[in-house]
Amino acid sequence: MSEDLYDVAIIGCGPAGLQAAIHAASKKARVVVFGKPRKSSLYKAHVANYCCYEEPISGKEILEAGRKQAENFDAEFVEEDIIETKNENNLFSLVTESGASLTSRTLVLCMGVSRKKLGVKGEKRLVGRGVSYCVDCDANFFKGTDVAVVGNESAAVTGALTLLSYASTVQLICRKLMVIDTLHDRLRESQVKVVEDTWVKEVIGTDEVEGVLLKNGDTLNVKGVFVELGAKGALELAANLGVVFDAETFSSIETNKKQETNIPGLYAAGDIVGQPWQIAKAVGEGCVAGIEAAEYAKKLADS
Amino acid sequence: MGTGVLDVDDNNFESEILKAEKPALVDFWAPWCGPCKAIGPAIQEMEEKYGDSIIFARCNVDDSPNTPAQYSIRAIPTLILFQDGKVVDQVVGAVPKTSLESLVQKVL
Ligand SMILES: Cc1cc2nc3c(=O)[nH]c(=O)nc-3n(C[C@H](O)[C@H](O)[C@H](O)COP(=O)(O)OP(=O)(O)OC[C@H]3O[C@@H](n4cnc5c(N)ncnc54)[C@H](O)[C@@H]3O)c2cc1C
Repeated sequence: MSEDLYDVAIIGCGPAGLQAAIHAASKKARVVVFGKPRKSSLYKAHVANYCCYEEPISGKEILEAGRKQAENFDAEFVEEDIIETKNENNLFSLVTESGASLTSRTLVLCMGVSRKKLGVKGEKRLVGRGVSYCVDCDANFFKGTDVAVVGNESAAVTGALTLLSYASTVQLICRKLMVIDTLHDRLRESQVKVVEDTWVKEVIGTDEVEGVLLKNGDTLNVKGVFVELGAKGALELAANLGVVFDAETFSSIETNKKQETNIPGLYAAGDIVGQPWQIAKAVGEGCVAGIEAAEYAKKLADS
Repeated sequence: MGTGVLDVDDNNFESEILKAEKPALVDFWAPWCGPCKAIGPAIQEMEEKYGDSIIFARCNVDDSPNTPAQYSIRAIPTLILFQDGKVVDQVVGAVPKTSLESLVQKVL
C-alpha cells in the first residue's frame, strides 16, 4: 500500500468486491481491495447454481481465482479489516486494523452480511441495559465501570482498546483471536485482560447486566457486555458517512441501478445491498459498481 | 404534517416533554453514532405522518448527559415514548420500522 491517492478503494474481497476490482482495474483505475478471503460467506460454500459451472464448485476456489484475475489487472490486496471511514473534500479516507491509512477518490462497499448477535440467554432481554452492539456509540455510558467485550476479530480488539479510555477495567472474551500481528501486539501491551479459549454462555442480570457466565464455568462481574463479532459492518462504517439505508429494516444500503449510494463517489454491491444473497447478484452488482467507480474517479482526476 | 423533529436538552426536557399535553417520542442519539444516523430519516418520516398527535423530539446525549442518566440509558439510539410525564414504552437500537410503528400506536 503506498502513500498516495487511489482511484477506487473496495472494502470486502468476496465475489462483489472481486468483480468490482476486476472491472475497475481493467479500466486502468488504481485499485486497492481490503478484507479477508476466509471471512467471505462464500469461503466454505459449495455452489451448484452459479451460471456456467455445471459441476458443483468450491467457494474457496472461486475466491482464489477471482483474486488472481484482479491481480493480473494490477489491483492491490490488503488482508486487513477497515476500522474507520471518513469523507472529506470529495475524498474517502480509510484506516486499517494495523493503523495504516489511505485516501481514495471513490469507495465501494462490499462487506457482505454477518451475524452480529450472540444468541445466548439474557442477551436480548438486557439490550440497552448493559448489553451493547456498538462500542463507538455507547462507551461513554460505562465510565468508571467494569466491562467485557466479546469477539475474536478486529471489531472486538479495537473496541476493547477504545473502552480503556472510559471503563475502569476491560476484559476481552474470545475463542481465539484472529487479527493482524500489529493489532495483537497493541492488545498485548495494553491493560485489556484477555480471557481466551472460552465464550459467553449467558448474560446475567435482572434489570441490568450484572455479569457474564462463561462456557468454562467462570463468572465475570461486569456492568457492560459489548458484543463485537467480526469486522465493523455497514451500520458502523457506512452510516457515519451519511449513507441512506433501506427504509424498512435499516439493514441494507440503498443504491440505484448504477450501484450509487446517496453519497457521490460511494458505491455498494453484493449482500450488503440486500437480498437475494447470491453470487450471481453479487458479481453483477460488483461489475456495475467497479465500472461506475472507475469512471467517476477518472472524471474527478481530470477536473 | 407536523412541525419537524424538536431538539430537546437537559434544560427544557421537563417543560417540552414531561409536561407536554401530547404524548412524545424522544430519540436519544449522538452525532458519532452510526445506527442513530441510519434511523434518522425514518423518524422524520413518522413525524410527518403522526406529528399532529405526537411530539417527535431528539436529545443529544453528548450535550445533555443528565436526562439519559435519569432514564438509565446505556445504549443509543434509544427511543422512549412518554405520556403525561411517564414512560409508556421504549425500544433500543436501529429496530425495524414496523417496531417504531407499533411503538407509536400505543398512544394513538
Ligand atoms: C454456507 C453458504 C452457502 C452458500 N451457497 C451459495 C450458493 O450455492 N449459491 C450462491 O449463489 N450463493 C451462495 N451463498 C451466498 C454467497 O456466498 C453470498 O451471496 C456472496 O458471498 C456475497 O458476496 P459479497 O461479496 O457481497 O459478500 P461476502 O462474500 O460475504 O464477502 C464479504 C467480504 O467483506 C469483508 N469485510 C467485511 N467487513 C469488513 C471490514 N470492516 N473491513 C474489511 N473487509 C471487510 C470480508 O472479509 C469479506 O471478504 C452461500 C452462503 C453461505 C454462507
